[in-house]
Amino acid sequence: MLGSKLPGKVIQNINSTFVGGGVAEILNRMVPLLGQLGVDARWDVIKGDTDFFQVTKKFHNALHGRQETITKADFEIFKETTEKNLKEMELKGDIIYVHDPQPAGLIARKSKSGKKWIWRCHIDVSHPNEEVWRFLEPFVVQYDSAVFSAPAFSRELPIRQFLISPSIDPLSDKNKELPQETIDSVMEKYGIPKDKPIITQVSRFDYLKDPVGVIEAFEMVRKSINCRLVLAGGTASDDPESEKVLTEVNERAGDNPDIHVLLVPPNSDIEINALQRASTIILQKSLREGFGLTVSEALWKAKPVVASAVGGIPLQVKNKLTGLLSHGIAGTAFALRQLLTNPDYAKWLGQNGKEHIRYNFLITRHLRDYLLLFISLEHPGDIIHL
Amino acid sequence: MGTAINWILANWSALLVPVAVFLFVLLIVLLLRRRIYEALDRWLSRSGWKGNRILLRAFRVPSLLWCFIAALYVGLTVSALPLVWKALIGNGLGTIFVLSLSIAIFRFGSGLILIYGEKYQIPWHGIVVTRNIARIVILIVTVLALLDIWGIRTSTAVLLIGVVILAAALAFRDALSNLLAGSQLGTTKKIRAGDYIKLDTGEEGSVVEVKWDTTLIKAPNESLIIIPNSRLLRQTIINYGHLLKKAKEPFRFNSRAHMTELTGLRARNLRELRNILKTASDATIFFHTHHFLQEHHFLTPEPSNDLAVWVTDALGDQVLGERLASVDTFEFTTLESLKERMVSILDEYLATEAPLREAMEGREFYFMKSISVIFALPDVVTDLREFVAALSRISTSSLYFHIFEARLRLGKGLNDFSIWLRDSLGEEELAEEIARHDPYTYTLEGLRSSLIRLVEKRIQ
Repeated sequence: MLGSKLPGKVIQNINSTFVGGGVAEILNRMVPLLGQLGVDARWDVIKGDTDFFQVTKKFHNALHGRQETITKADFEIFKETTEKNLKEMELKGDIIYVHDPQPAGLIARKSKSGKKWIWRCHIDVSHPNEEVWRFLEPFVVQYDSAVFSAPAFSRELPIRQFLISPSIDPLSDKNKELPQETIDSVMEKYGIPKDKPIITQVSRFDYLKDPVGVIEAFEMVRKSINCRLVLAGGTASDDPESEKVLTEVNERAGDNPDIHVLLVPPNSDIEINALQRASTIILQKSLREGFGLTVSEALWKAKPVVASAVGGIPLQVKNKLTGLLSHGIAGTAFALRQLLTNPDYAKWLGQNGKEHIRYNFLITRHLRDYLLLFISLEHPGDIIHL
Repeated sequence: MGTAINWILANWSALLVPVAVFLFVLLIVLLLRRRIYEALDRWLSRSGWKGNRILLRAFRVPSLLWCFIAALYVGLTVSALPLVWKALIGNGLGTIFVLSLSIAIFRFGSGLILIYGEKYQIPWHGIVVTRNIARIVILIVTVLALLDIWGIRTSTAVLLIGVVILAAALAFRDALSNLLAGSQLGTTKKIRAGDYIKLDTGEEGSVVEVKWDTTLIKAPNESLIIIPNSRLLRQTIINYGHLLKKAKEPFRFNSRAHMTELTGLRARNLRELRNILKTASDATIFFHTHHFLQEHHFLTPEPSNDLAVWVTDALGDQVLGERLASVDTFEFTTLESLKERMVSILDEYLATEAPLREAMEGREFYFMKSISVIFALPDVVTDLREFVAALSRISTSSLYFHIFEARLRLGKGLNDFSIWLRDSLGEEELAEEIARHDPYTYTLEGLRSSLIRLVEKRIQ
């Protein structure tokens, strides 16, 4: 019904990669679904070389609040690539939906296009490196609207800002129900015995996911409770830092037989699904987080979750209702112990978590938010009568 | 002709006695018939039985014929005719008697079926079928009786007829069971045209017609449901009775979708919270007093406003948190007055000049706005029964819109249901009861069930 309110409109999504990372994952699902609702949604990516993506990775980290040295040359590389894309990118949409900072500079073509522009920020910009934010802000304020994944990411801006949480697709390989044989075969493949409770963190090997902190929290728990840790993750084409982090994690894990560090190749969604389903507790000890879709995935599987209160995680984990929030390594270890020693409580949290995801973080809600966002571009009020 | 006259003249003395007996008996039975008819007429008239006229009419001519048959039979008995002739004529009289009796019983039975069919509102098809069955039974009995009179063995015929009836019963067993169920529905008057019924299999609607084999129900979505009568009788049926009062204006269900707009404003302590809150829009107040309910409606009926949660969790002030949490949103009919109450609590606290606590970085209070997109649903109802049926199928978003959003967000001061019940349906009492119902103490599904119970109680 909402789709019918956008007759003939073309929505052009633009980001930096077709594969790897949460944005590509969302668009892979969202674009065809919008099409099925009668909305002409398209998806293009900007072009960039390795230098450009190294700069945008630095921007990404800096916007997340990590200490990064950004040079003038970095800004120049960004501008040059943006210029190239400004010339090459064909703007086919009535609504141009730009995802993340990499293609943000395309807004320079707004004045000529007469189209509506939305900037979708998927990352945690609650404590950004001011230099990078000041560089990006002039682009951002030219958009008609901005969209963030968590309230803390918003800033006082002269444009409308909306909160749209990401979502998961319950029918995707990563979230669908799996037969026990599949789960068992994946555990066997990765050599993970099911002889004791398994704590799992699934995320890209990234400093901001604090994999080393996860190992430290696990070691604190392991002193009193016999359990295993699985750290499973992959890499993204726009993240050149992953390999380095993986090496550090392997070094920190050493030869502890209860710690399993798994480099899961891209498109291993069923394996990730199986690992999550085989786990006793899912952990997401991020230092910064955009939204944290792995938390939604875990909750959807009715798993008890321990997660850092950062980014969009508190939207998903209501402390002591749908999971446990932590603020540090010791707190994480404490929460893990609580759940391991109280399985009924853990089960109750997991079930609540699943219902919370059902009502608020499935792709159907996300689709609706997108449609409402597009509709809101034409309706400035707080109450819109269709 | 001449031969017959000659024969009579030659045998007048042998005919005189049987003819005299015939005339005498005829006179007696005619008189007797008349007395019986008069007595029967008086007695039936006093009883007020509707079938008396049918009975008298059905037997008037046949009974006259029976008088002649009786007189002839007695005359025949005393005559000097050969036994073979007597037997032959006796069989003929018996045949006429059986045929006339069958016709009389058929007329009487048909009349009774019609009277009682109308009395118990049995559909016309049912009456016709019942009459035909009675006709077949009478015919079979008549044929068997005639065969018996003429000395033909009937055991084979009875067997044959039995087989045919059994085969017919098997072939038309569904039709028969539906017919019997239809008759039962008609006689017991459990369901009548115009009644609104709900079956345990989920079908519901207004009964359009109870036919001899099926019952037609018009569902709330205007579709026609055809249910075999035998199936209908096997179910638990809630019969809400006849059509209810129609509303002056129909109730049109709406729903709403919601977006969260970020203001970029954040508070780190109570003073900042109070200052921003003081100038906050209705959209902001509505968001922070209702979004928990909307997001967690499945989990807990306990309403929780964001200010109370933040003061308790982020500032660690349990006492002030409790004061803010105890603000009963249901007491307020405007968002402005609700905001003033919150602000006044904060003002009272700030006036004590207690040291201000600062929220940790990342735990600030982020002000947001609720953007509502309202759209019409296809559900339009005109009476209580349609209303309760729609209530059970609308989404929780629609329920939320009409109960919470309409009252406070749209500034109506009262929920949509109560307004419609009072103004368009004249159901002041029910409207008042729903208005008094504190929706903040329910989960949305719990609220739906509670409202349905209230309306169903009113219908019954």
